[in-house]
Amino acid sequence: MSRIGVFVCHCGENISRTVDVERVAAEIGKLPGVALATDYKYMCSDPGQGLLKKAVAEHKLDGLVVAACSPRMHEKTFRNAAKAAGLNPFLCEMANIREHCSWVHEDREEATAKAIDIVRLMVERVKKDKALQPITVPITKRALVIGGGIAGIQAALDIADCGHQVLLVEREPSIGGHMAQLSETFPTLDCSQCIMTPKMVDVANHPNIKLYTWSEIEHVDGYIGNFQVTIRKKARSVDMDKCTGCGICMAKCPQKNIKSKFDCGLGTRPAIYVPFPQAVPNTPVIDRENCTYFKSGKCGVCAKVCGPGAVDYDQQDELITEPVGAIVVATGFELYSIAEKPKGSSIKGYGEFGHGTIPDVIDGMTFERLASASGPTGGKILRPSDGREPKQVVFVQCVGSRAREKGISYCSKVCCMYTAKHTMLYKHKVHDGQAYVFFMDARTPGKSYDEFWRRAVEEEEAVYIRGMVSRLYQKGDKIVVMGSDVLVGVQVEIEADLVVLATAVQPRQGADSLAQKLGISYDTYNFYSEAHAKLKPVECATAGIYLAGACQGPKDIPDTVSQASAAAAKVMTLFSRDQLEREPIVARVNERNCVACFSCKKVCPYGAVEEKEIRDRQGNLIRVVAYVNPGVCGGCGTCQATCPSKSVELDGYTDEQVMAMIEAL
Amino acid sequence: MKNVLNYSYYPGCSLHASAKEYDESTKGVFKALRIGLNEVPDWFCCGATPAHNVDELLSLSLCAKNLSLADNVEGDLAVACAACFSRLKTAQHRLTENDIKRKQVETAIAGAVSLEKPVKHLLEILAKDYGLDRLADAVKKPLNGLKVATYYGCLLTRPPDVPELDCCEAPTIMENVIAATGAEPVAWSHRLECCGANFTLSRPGVVLNLSNAILASAKRAGADCIMVACPLCHGNLDIRQKEIEEANGTRYGMPVFYMTQLLGLAVGVPAGKLGLDSMIVNPLPLLKEKGLV
Repeated sequence: MSRIGVFVCHCGENISRTVDVERVAAEIGKLPGVALATDYKYMCSDPGQGLLKKAVAEHKLDGLVVAACSPRMHEKTFRNAAKAAGLNPFLCEMANIREHCSWVHEDREEATAKAIDIVRLMVERVKKDKALQPITVPITKRALVIGGGIAGIQAALDIADCGHQVLLVEREPSIGGHMAQLSETFPTLDCSQCIMTPKMVDVANHPNIKLYTWSEIEHVDGYIGNFQVTIRKKARSVDMDKCTGCGICMAKCPQKNIKSKFDCGLGTRPAIYVPFPQAVPNTPVIDRENCTYFKSGKCGVCAKVCGPGAVDYDQQDELITEPVGAIVVATGFELYSIAEKPKGSSIKGYGEFGHGTIPDVIDGMTFERLASASGPTGGKILRPSDGREPKQVVFVQCVGSRAREKGISYCSKVCCMYTAKHTMLYKHKVHDGQAYVFFMDARTPGKSYDEFWRRAVEEEEAVYIRGMVSRLYQKGDKIVVMGSDVLVGVQVEIEADLVVLATAVQPRQGADSLAQKLGISYDTYNFYSEAHAKLKPVECATAGIYLAGACQGPKDIPDTVSQASAAAAKVMTLFSRDQLEREPIVARVNERNCVACFSCKKVCPYGAVEEKEIRDRQGNLIRVVAYVNPGVCGGCGTCQATCPSKSVELDGYTDEQVMAMIEAL
Repeated sequence: MKNVLNYSYYPGCSLHASAKEYDESTKGVFKALRIGLNEVPDWFCCGATPAHNVDELLSLSLCAKNLSLADNVEGDLAVACAACFSRLKTAQHRLTENDIKRKQVETAIAGAVSLEKPVKHLLEILAKDYGLDRLADAVKKPLNGLKVATYYGCLLTRPPDVPELDCCEAPTIMENVIAATGAEPVAWSHRLECCGANFTLSRPGVVLNLSNAILASAKRAGADCIMVACPLCHGNLDIRQKEIEEANGTRYGMPVFYMTQLLGLAVGVPAGKLGLDSMIVNPLPLLKEKGLV
């Protein structure tokens, strides 16, 4: 006869509000094989765990059921407590009477009856639990960081400084991301380039960082500690080893008028280019779509002028497979485009603002380029249409953000602050200019943030108008901004020279397809989901993959850097051990019964099933059976359900256990 | 190929009174295009703006009763007036989503509420059911060289989820329809702004301001004329135009056509049957200049 201990948790009031926990304990106590059933307010707290440990010794318990929250929340906690009490941790199971019961029901009687059922099933399961030993797998102590913006750079530097190898993969020709585009940063107005470019150089010079720019993730295999990543190194058409970065190819390229993405279309670049002068690496790429040589086969000027002979038109994309143990995803954001969106998108665009057709209506990033000393105007605020200095500038916040009817309901978090910054930068450069800001709320939570905003209003004399803009239209060389001032209760019309829209922060295009390659989850907007909003903010639900920066949600630079360092710390925690202990919830093949049909191999989503040869002592092959690699097995049980001869079972979820639970229902 | 279009027709009060020329030209255009148009017998007022401002149940009931009368005539319900269109669509929308209101209305009109018949504005019928290509083929006298400011006003496309005619912020259906006749729709800023609507009676000063902005914008964009699909907008822009000019010390002389008047000219309805003589701003000099009459 088993001696099982059952501990029913109140979870403060989370469970006891709807479930009569005392009655659950009393009813379960009557079951055969239950030696002790009791309840406590917070089982996960130190006294709660103490209660459990003491009971194991006093009542000589040989199995435990903790009736509380989801095993995702606290299974590990209670298994550790069981282990400390001298029990095999896998003889401790959780009965979920919170998420599966108290949180989703209102009727106390029915909820209590259901809780009793749930606990009774787990008691039957624990009766047939076997002591399991943890599986250890080796760890490849190399990290992959996807995205070379400030988030990826920070994470890569932290991990590399700790002595581990890092692969940093960036889609664009240079690292730097959005931060390299910014002019000055809030709340201190220090120059973005001045704090960013040294970090970029550190990356380039770091002996532990291997940089893959102009590269994308093609494919990801494996699991925590043992990923295999295939990287597509796009053809650069320039040999990185030979190129000295002298720049003569760029100077001589006859194609000069390609709109620069880095300068938000305000400036131009040649077909062979680095995105900006401080690029890392300082090796150009050929934009094959716009290159005369690639379009017509004629030209070839860059190859002729290149002293070291680095230009290589025949270069092909290369696929490189690298083993890594952990992955940091830091793919960042892009800005909502107010232009018309393709059909089928839930984003509607801004017809009332002309769908992006008025040249002097720009977004926040474009204003950054105008204000940047390295920008196309050398830091002068000039209108894109006629190069005149605008004397009245209207800033509009919450364009796309907090606009359910436009398809996005979240707050983009950074716009209130950067708009305040924009009004200051404008005032510093155009002393007789006037800035107006249309806003819904000024959200300034952050160290020194509200003081910064107040400075924009009180000292730099930006006029803040609480209300939204309904329409923009061109009238002569002015843009008429029609809006409302809801505090005064009047309609407002301002004839502006320049309008700057604080457009919503969105995940990168293709964020969803990268998530599918990595096997991580994402929300309806394609932001990547953390494992727990409060307690696991940088971990993905998929083990070994971590998040940093705006790919997880809109974030400013301080938050991004903090999260990147946190993700790096998680990677370093993982790498601090030589072997990874994995839960032994894996499938096991009964080699005597296996008929080698390999149905399990076909259905296994992890590729964990191998063919194993059984040989006699002379080395003669007797037969072939299925073998589940415990390091790779994800414990999903698909093989168990598929096997026609019932020869494979998942430890902890054997047929016998599941049948016992069903019978107890 | 059998391709006969037949519609039941709800003209609304204005089209039997101040906007007779809209009614006359609508019938003319439909006849020329061989589209059937049969007026719903015994139709009455949709309630317009006053009803829904005073009592929603009254407003919904008036529309519901008219919709059930329309069931007696074959074909989707064609509506010319933007306000009637908006009221009827709103009633369909509200009563579809709200069972309680629906039951109240059924009590009020002492009968079942019928919401199945599609309610369509003339623009939708011409652009979608009849088709822009066919419309272009039907043009006998192209309006080449005529620059038209297409004026939607408030109700054709708003509120966003009700009329289902076109995008509420950047619609193109009016431009598409008039472009099919060879005319040139101009790009202008005020095609979706309010003209002042019913304030024309209670606070005409509001109308003088708002409609002035619309006329000024059309002039700025180089338009020869404005095209409307709403009797009230027409009244404010056309009948009050002289007053607006005096109040603002400007001169527009901008003819304001109903859409069916311009379409009628293009598809060969005799000019005498389009009610052009009812317009306050005389369109004849313009039409003569462009060789259209």
